[in-house]
Amino acid sequence: MKRITYLVLLLALPFTSFGNDEVNTLFAKGNDQYAKGKYADAAKTYQSILNNGNQSATVYFNLGNAYYKQGDIPSAILYYEKAHKINPGDDDINFNIQLCNLKTTDKIDPTPDIFLTKWWEAIVMAFSVGTLGWLSILFFIAGSGVFIAYLYSQSVSLKRTSFFTAMGLISIGLITIILAATQVHYFASHKQAIVFSNAVNVKSEPGAGSKNLFVIHEGTKVDVLENSNNWMRVRLLNGNEGWILVGDVKAI
Amino acid sequence: MTIKHYILTLLLFCTTAAMGQSFVAQVSKTQVATGEVFEVQFTLNASGDKFTPPNFAGFQVVGGPNQSQSMSSINGQVTQSVSIGYDLVADKVGTFTIGSAYIVINGRPVSTKPIVITVVKGNPQAQQRQQQQQQAQSPFDNTPPDAPGADMKKNIFMRAVIDKSRVYLGEQITLTYKLYTRVSLVANDLDKAPDLNGFWSQDVNKNQQQNIPWKMEVYNGQRYNVAEVKQTILFPERAGNLTIDPLAMTFVVRKALPARDVMEQMFGGRTEDVKIKVASPPVTVHVQPLPEAGKPASFTGAVGTFAIEGTVDKRELKANEALNYKLKITGSGNIKLLKEVNINPPTDFEKYDPKITDAVTESIKGVSGSRELAYLMIPRHEGTYTIEPVQFSYFNPKTNKYVTLTTPVFPIKVNKGTDAAGNVTSLAPADQRDIKMLAKDIRYIKSSSPDLYNEGEAFFGSAGYWLLLLLGPLAFIGAFAFRKRTEEFNSDIVKVKNRRAAKLAAKHMANAGKEMQAGNTKAFYEAVSKGLYGYLSDKLNIPAADLNQENIAAELKLKGVSDALIKNMTDTLDLCEMARFAPVSHVSQQQVFDGAKSTINDIETNV
Repeated sequence: MKRITYLVLLLALPFTSFGNDEVNTLFAKGNDQYAKGKYADAAKTYQSILNNGNQSATVYFNLGNAYYKQGDIPSAILYYEKAHKINPGDDDINFNIQLCNLKTTDKIDPTPDIFLTKWWEAIVMAFSVGTLGWLSILFFIAGSGVFIAYLYSQSVSLKRTSFFTAMGLISIGLITIILAATQVHYFASHKQAIVFSNAVNVKSEPGAGSKNLFVIHEGTKVDVLENSNNWMRVRLLNGNEGWILVGDVKAI
Repeated sequence: MTIKHYILTLLLFCTTAAMGQSFVAQVSKTQVATGEVFEVQFTLNASGDKFTPPNFAGFQVVGGPNQSQSMSSINGQVTQSVSIGYDLVADKVGTFTIGSAYIVINGRPVSTKPIVITVVKGNPQAQQRQQQQQQAQSPFDNTPPDAPGADMKKNIFMRAVIDKSRVYLGEQITLTYKLYTRVSLVANDLDKAPDLNGFWSQDVNKNQQQNIPWKMEVYNGQRYNVAEVKQTILFPERAGNLTIDPLAMTFVVRKALPARDVMEQMFGGRTEDVKIKVASPPVTVHVQPLPEAGKPASFTGAVGTFAIEGTVDKRELKANEALNYKLKITGSGNIKLLKEVNINPPTDFEKYDPKITDAVTESIKGVSGSRELAYLMIPRHEGTYTIEPVQFSYFNPKTNKYVTLTTPVFPIKVNKGTDAAGNVTSLAPADQRDIKMLAKDIRYIKSSSPDLYNEGEAFFGSAGYWLLLLLGPLAFIGAFAFRKRTEEFNSDIVKVKNRRAAKLAAKHMANAGKEMQAGNTKAFYEAVSKGLYGYLSDKLNIPAADLNQENIAAELKLKGVSDALIKNMTDTLDLCEMARFAPVSHVSQQQVFDGAKSTINDIETNV
């Protein structure tokens, strides 16, 4: 039994103790600068945490706030969306995204979804992938534990209840795995980007000579459908599609 | 014929026996400065005739002839005198002589003595002051004789005078339209009032239009009668070079014509009325924009010098009662252009639009006065509130700096008001109210620890994740296998008994040890024998019914136990049985106990 405990601890170690001292110091420094109103310095500090390909919903969120306070709405939206990608269920992140979207030039009404799609999305996005992962492990361990109890229980009624409980727990565990996988797949397949140039002509074909379909402005979020030689086909939330230069946007 | 003629004629015919007749010339001073006005007077204390003025070569006649006469009767003695005066101005430096004047008294011509006048270089200011004093009384009578021939433009014109030409946006300028004239005016008419585009203007002293005071002023070396036709305070409304429009007027001028004879010259001469159009030249004002550096957030365009004062009429009141909050802005500047001051009462207070009372006066120095903003507020709920300070900023053009003034904070205590049952009508329907959203802002930053992970090192899907996920099922499989093994293990009774034999024997032996300590000999031997028999029965799988020494010995032999051990065993069993019924003396209980124990141990190792 002791050996199993050690094994669990060994496996869990890399995930729980990642926030080392250096990062925590930098993070606290950034928060302090933000609280004092030095938003540009705070943004630099947060960026330095993220420099080595690190990701964190919390740092992205705070970085977005620092950009918002400097009046840089497109950058703020970009980092809020990055934070949203890691932790889609977070209330604060979603609230700030909504508020920022009110400040962009383009007002885009998204195409209405069927209520079932909405519900499904709400369920999938309710927790972060990490949380779902841990939940699935917990459910599997709990389910297995109850199954073991089923093996050793004597009375028939106890055996019956423990069996169904265990089945239920294992099923919930499986569902969380499916949800997590769906979420990973969703973000992997839905590449999005934020427009950073002040006014971007959306063309009908990938080429400077083609017709201008419409104009979008900085801070607008687009779905990236395909890439072709420096041009990308994008779709707005309201369904309009066209080609823009890759340099005009930053991928989330 | 004027009245002067009659008087003179009367005097001349009124000849009486004079005591002594004298005809003298007098000057107010013999040494004068250039441009200084002095008077020469010819006095006759009798009645005369045919007065001939002298030649005033080297002087200019600026006034006269002025006649005066006096008559006095003392003790029946009547004396009379007539004098004719001229006001003269010297043009050049040098010594000049005023020649003799002639008059005929009783048919005899009489002359005055010539007077020598020394003219020195004059001080223009002293000269001007003196002239002003003299001219102020009768500005139009002393029209210079060269006026008729001179260019009219030089004799009558208008100027627009401003007190400063470089101002800040919103800084007040005093604009004065001045009329300069050296001729007498009969009538005037305003042609075109200035538009004053780009300015907000405020006229000064409108009611005095009827009676404009005249002043003397020297302009370009010439002396003029000056009237301030119109005075306006201007506030520039945009930056840049702004032009002040001309003011156009038409005047009717009385022009003197050259005298045709002596009498006419003596008594005023002929005149002619001429219409002249006059317009002031345009004036440019350079308006600078207000500096951006250091502009306070509360600045709304006030320029000048101001003071602000805030007062409340009560510090404690009941809910639903009215509270008056007054702001008084005093000072000089564009006070009438002040925008509404933003006050921030507690949100639970009902605030009404302010009542604005202005007490503003316009003078040459500018617009000054006070503006009072009276705010009516009604607190709807009890509690302790504060009326936040009001910030008022203005730009002081003299110091080129912005000044921010702040009113004090007023704590207001609102007591529970009369309820709806009372006679106070409350506009709010009930005590409950929606929360008012004052502003929208982003949520504050998170301070929880940042769970960092590298890109591509997501926990979900990693090897560690799958291992942890398998932990539960693996534990289950382990438990299942373990159970299966124990079940198999316990299924053979003989084997189980065999395994448990030593344990049971140990239990009996422990019991025996206890009895030995207690000193119960009988119980001790019984426990030892029970332990041995039980052990052998379990170990050798002999049912209790067949349990005797022969069977045991045979079974042990079968298992390959040495004869010595069997002998030892049977001896111990015999001893125990014997000891239960008779006292044993040749061996101690301890020896029996140790022997039994070692026997069991030996069998356990051998079998």
